[in-house]
Formats: sequence, C-alpha cells, structure tokens
Amino acid sequence: MLETKNKITWCPGCPNYLIKQAIQTAITNLIQQGYPKESFVVVTDIGCSSKIYDYLDLSAFYGLHGRAIPTGFGIKVGNPKLNVLVIAGDGGTYNEGLDHFIHACRYNINLTLLVHNNGAFSLTTGQASATTKKGFIEKTHPFGVQEDALNPLSLALESGASFVARTSALDLNQMAAIIEQGIKHPGFSFIDILQPCLIYNNFSEVLKKNSYILKNPLPLEKALVEARKSAFALENPAKEKIALGVFFQEKKPTFEEKYFQNRNI
Amino acid sequence: MRLNLLIGGKAGQGINKLAEIISSSLVRAGWYVFNYKDYQSAIKGGHNFNLISISDQNLAAYEEDLDLLFAFDAQTYDEHKKNISKKTILATADSELNKKVGGFFLDLSQLGKFGNMAFAGFLFKCLGLDKKFLLEEIEKEFKQKEIVIENKKIIEQFYAPEYSVDLKLPEPQQNEPQHQQKKELPGYSHLSGSEAISQAAVEAGLEIYFGYPMTPSTGVLSSLALKQKENKDLFVFTPENEIAVINSALGASFAGRKVMVGTSGGGFDLMSEAMSLQGMVELPLVIHLSQRAGPGTGVPTYSGQGDLNAAIYAGHGEFPRLVVAPGDAQEAYEKTIEAFYLAEKFKLLSIILTDKHLAESGYTDQIKKSSVVVPKREDLLSQGVVKKNSYEHDLFGNTTEIAAEIKENTDRRIAKTKLVEKETQKFTRYKFYGTGKNLLIGFGSTKGGILDALPNLPEFSYLHLIYLEPFPSEIIAYLQKAKKILVIEQNSTGQLADLLSKQLAVTIPEHNRILKYDGRPFTAKDLLGRIK
Repeated sequence: MLETKNKITWCPGCPNYLIKQAIQTAITNLIQQGYPKESFVVVTDIGCSSKIYDYLDLSAFYGLHGRAIPTGFGIKVGNPKLNVLVIAGDGGTYNEGLDHFIHACRYNINLTLLVHNNGAFSLTTGQASATTKKGFIEKTHPFGVQEDALNPLSLALESGASFVARTSALDLNQMAAIIEQGIKHPGFSFIDILQPCLIYNNFSEVLKKNSYILKNPLPLEKALVEARKSAFALENPAKEKIALGVFFQEKKPTFEEKYFQNRNI
Repeated sequence: MRLNLLIGGKAGQGINKLAEIISSSLVRAGWYVFNYKDYQSAIKGGHNFNLISISDQNLAAYEEDLDLLFAFDAQTYDEHKKNISKKTILATADSELNKKVGGFFLDLSQLGKFGNMAFAGFLFKCLGLDKKFLLEEIEKEFKQKEIVIENKKIIEQFYAPEYSVDLKLPEPQQNEPQHQQKKELPGYSHLSGSEAISQAAVEAGLEIYFGYPMTPSTGVLSSLALKQKENKDLFVFTPENEIAVINSALGASFAGRKVMVGTSGGGFDLMSEAMSLQGMVELPLVIHLSQRAGPGTGVPTYSGQGDLNAAIYAGHGEFPRLVVAPGDAQEAYEKTIEAFYLAEKFKLLSIILTDKHLAESGYTDQIKKSSVVVPKREDLLSQGVVKKNSYEHDLFGNTTEIAAEIKENTDRRIAKTKLVEKETQKFTRYKFYGTGKNLLIGFGSTKGGILDALPNLPEFSYLHLIYLEPFPSEIIAYLQKAKKILVIEQNSTGQLADLLSKQLAVTIPEHNRILKYDGRPFTAKDLLGRIK
C-alpha cells in the first residue's frame, strides 16, 4: 500500500489524508498495470503538502521551498525512464517558484505536478499566498489581502501546458482517476487540487456547493474561458459554478522527444 | 626573447577570432604564445583588443611595450600609443591614420568578410615564419571549403615580400627539446581555461551540464554545447535561471548522472541556497565559478579575485566543500578532473574557482591525459527505495527533529572535511618556485604575472596555492622559513591574506598585501614596481 511507518503529523481530518490515499491508489493501479515500483520518484516542496515524503514508501527527494519543479525536471532529464510526481503546495508553486511552473509548462517535461492548493501558507501558520482570496484577513494582512488571487489554470494554459486539470481534495475517486491519467499523459501534467485547510482557510462548503464536473476535456479556447472562473473568487452562494476535471489535454512533443532524439540518454 | 603584438579595433570586427588563429598558428610553428583578450560589454563598436605575447619559453603574461601594433581604427592607436616606442612596427587598415602616423597600410576594403586575415599573412611574413602553419590552422578552423579557400587567398596575398621587416623571431635554441624534430611543440595546444575545463569535464565523465549565460563562465557553456554534436552521451541545457540550474543539477545527480554547472558571482549567489541543500542531501555536484570584477553586476568582461570568500563560505549552515583555484590551462584541466573525482568519492560540493583572465586568455599548454579515475555511479532504478531529504534526516532519509540524531548527522558531515583533506594530499595542492628567502603567495591566474616577474626577483620565492578548501595547512613550513611575506591578489581587501591568517595564525599586514582591483591582470612590470 506504499505506506511508511512514520507518524503522520497532519491535523486530524485534513484533506491531505485523502490526497495521499488517492496518490497511493493511482500508483498501486499503475504498478498492477506493469509500471515498476522503483520507477516512481516523488519530489516534494516544503509545506504541509510535502510532508507526504515521509509517508510514502517510494523513492523521493524532499527539495527546497519553491524548487520541487526544477528538481523533478533534473531527475527526469537524468533518467527519462523514471515516473516523476512533483507534489507541492500553492505557496511553493504559485509564490516562491512561479517562474519554474511557467517554464515547466513550456518545456512540456514528462512529469506530473500535483499542487495542494489551499490558498495559504499553512505550515508557517496561515499567511496569505498568491491564491488566497482578496480581502482575507490574517496576522500578516491585518487590513486584508489587497490583490485578486492568481489564476494558475489560466497561467498554465497560456504557458502551453499540455494537460491541465483541477480537482477537489474532498473527492477521492476523482483525484485518483485524474492522477493516474496525469501520470499516463505524455508531457507535463498539471493538476490543481483545491484543498480546504481546516485550520486556516476552510472553504469546504463553498467548494461543495459551487462546483460541477466536466465530462470531457475542452478545446483550448473553451478551456481558457472556463479557467478564468477563478476558484478563489467564489462567494457563497456563487454567481457561477467552477469546473472540476480535466480542462485541457493535447499531445505535443515532450521535452524528452525534443532534446533526446540524438542523445544516448 | 619576447615579442608583444597588439591587434585592436571595434567589437564585431573579428579581432578575437583573428588573434586565436594567429596564436594557434604560432604554436604550430613551435612558439609559446599567450593571448590576452580585452573586450567591453558590447556587441558592436567600442574598443576591443588582443595582446599576443610570443616567446621561446612558456609564458602566461603579457608585456605592455609593443613590438607591433595593428590598428583597425584610429581609436586603437590613441588607446595604445603610450606603449609604442621607436622599435614598434605600426600597421593599420585605416588610411587616414596611416597618413598621420606612418607604418604599413593594409587595404582591407575590397577583401570582404574575412579581410582581417590579411593581417595574419602580413604578420607571418614580418616574423619570417613559413605561411604553411597559418594555412594549416585555417583548414582546421573552418569547415566550409569556400571559406577556407577565401581565407587562404587573402593570407597568400598579404604574405608578401614588401613586408620583410626587422622583427624576425630568432631560430630556436638547439637544445630546446620541443624544437629538435619538427618545428612543433609536441602535445602542446593553444587553449583557454574554458576549453581546458570543458575537455576535462568530458574526460571525467560529464553527462549533463546546466548553465545560464553569465560572462565569463559562458565559454564553458558554449564549448560543451558544441561538443554535443560529436558526443551523444553529453546533454547541455540552459534552464530559466540559476536557481533552476542548480536545483535541476541536484535532481540529475540524484538520478545517477555526473553533472556540472557554471556561473559567475551573481549567479553563484543565487545558487547558494541549493549549495546548502547539497550539504544536507550529499549528492555529487561540481560548480565552475568564474569571477569577474565585482560586486553587483561589476565589470562583466574584466577579471578579479573578489569571490574567494563567497566560494568558501556561501550557503547557510555548515557543510564540507572543495574549492580549487587553477592558475593556468593545464591546471584547469587537472583540477577539473580532481574536482569530479572528489565530488563522486565523497558526495561532495566541488567548486572550481577561475576568473575571466584564466577562462578567456589563450595559454600554450600540454594537456596530458589524467590518471585519476572518477568513480562510476549506479542507476537510481537499480537501488530500491532511495530518499534524499533537505530536512535533517536519519539514515533512511526520514525527517527527524530528535536532538541526538541532529548532532550525529552534523558530526558526520563535518568529519567529512578531514576525510576529504586527507584524500587531497594525493594531488598537487600548491607549487613552489624560486629560491629567495622572501616569499610571494598567490592563487589562481596571478600565477602568470608572478612567474613572469620572478626571474627579476632573486630574493623572492613564490608559493602558488591551488587547493584552498580544505586548506593545506602544511604550507606553514614555507611561511615559517620566509623572511618577508607578500600576498598578491586581485581584490581590494586581501581575502587570501585573511584566509592565511585564519588557517595558519599568521598576520599579513596591509603593507604586505599587493592588491590590484581595476579589472586588469598583473604584469611583471606592475609587480616589480610594487615589490622593489
């Protein structure tokens, strides 16, 4: 079941438990389909999301904050046969390491990025991040967050990402299915997981009431329109609902195909 | 004997390429050549020049008094006329300048793109050397047949009888070994520090090079990128910035590859967090830090030694590292291989510290294949579950906050420095020259200027330090024997002098520090002026 013996230090009831289960389910399925267990490498950032490094019985690299993506890129370049799963939070991906996120979409490096997007820097006790809702008040923003939340899905699509999905941390089955799809997709797979943080940013009700499931991926122009509906602009009740599922998927040359054609890698 | 010739003009006129071809051809003809390249941070215009010094003995310094000046434009003449004397042969492609100052006029106006090669033909005729050395070099340098033909034509045209002057290189001494057979220096080539490092890295088993362009480290990036054509085991890539460069490199090292990255001061600063990461995860990594004059953006195309402290101390926390500072192309080759060896053997951060002067000057050196065998690595896939953790961790890579485990791991990491130091004793960590009672100490590319001055400093000997961290403390013996100690370096605070203080408990007062920090290298004349 890909579980270590280490004590789990997530808050009781944290959706991270479900995300972990979804990851384990997806990878177990893939192992049954013939993917060698040793071929999986998990690369984590720093934050609550990334504690999963200690809980999964898989090869892993616990990287620097914001730098999980380039670390995973390097591992993939070092051995393209590895199945690299980068697990990070919104803090590392949309704040500290935003440039790496954009370029990974361009490179189309064949790895899967899971972002535990809870709209806060939870592990450092709840500061606002780039995807925190405007007006949110916490210790470092006593007058409230002044900016609109960054929209990672729009950013990914405009940066040329070849697989863009969004899912809810409360939906185990959807997560497991999309993670498996992402790993199988040849190219950079970006999965934004909307994850309520029970302590600092609990938007469970908003998420449950105002989302709907996409039956199929959309053509790019429609995906862009859908992506613009920012998850963190949601009021309760919302004027419109946000989509969950695979927004966009296309087959285009991967980094490995572009660069390793005439290399002995 | 020594000849100094200067070729100058605007950026974009192909002066550097011309100087490289001339230098390599002279080495072919059996002469030792040092090619100093001076250029501004611009793509076209301004003033660039090469100062080529030719000798019957190996050298890595130039002299400013010119035997020949070739000026593409009037600005070159103005910039360098202070170094002209009655003996200087003047040549120019600028007819107005020629009318004013005399000398030879080479009319390049009808010659097209490769016109400046006329100077090469002219020069070889002046020097009384067989033009075949130049023609052979053209064949080696250019791949396209039409280009080779055109260049050769221009050389032939200007290798003309009217250019016989009193500048001929004397016949080499009969007892010089390299001249006994043909007029070639067997095994010698003319190459820059960057080329030496690139060759050595490939020899050491380099598989992946990540680099973000930053002068003067870019030479290695370009050189290796080109090598990909003939070497399919090599992959060279420019990630989005230096932070991506080094984190990707650690990822690739984790996957089992031999990796190197290169940068200059500012990029090195950006890499410092990941250097600290290296200290915690203990994955082999080689960094080439090539110094420019700093701080800030500094003077990108000029040299300095102001990043010594950064090389030794950058990166928060405490962890072992290697810092080697080669002083010429041959040392750059050897030390790069040693850097890879030590990185692999001890899962170490190896920093190769160079500067613009070493990276971009042309040296005449004999690159001998190294006997050092760099350990091979195992594929990640064959090792089961492997974990590398940026947090403090136990033996299996699980995160820990337990006091005893933190102490134990820290002790183990710090103990590595002693193990590395012991292993480095196998290698040449410093060199000693001369017999004088007084002692000059330096590191890196100042070696060329100091050795050039040393014959005129009989009361001095010279200690050239190569390994700076771990520090070879046994050199204290040289300092204890010395009457007076002078430390020579290209920075404004005396970082090497301070390092000696720290490591050996010696004090080097201000007046015993010979510092130069204007971006230009020491010449023998500079040093003699300041030491005597």
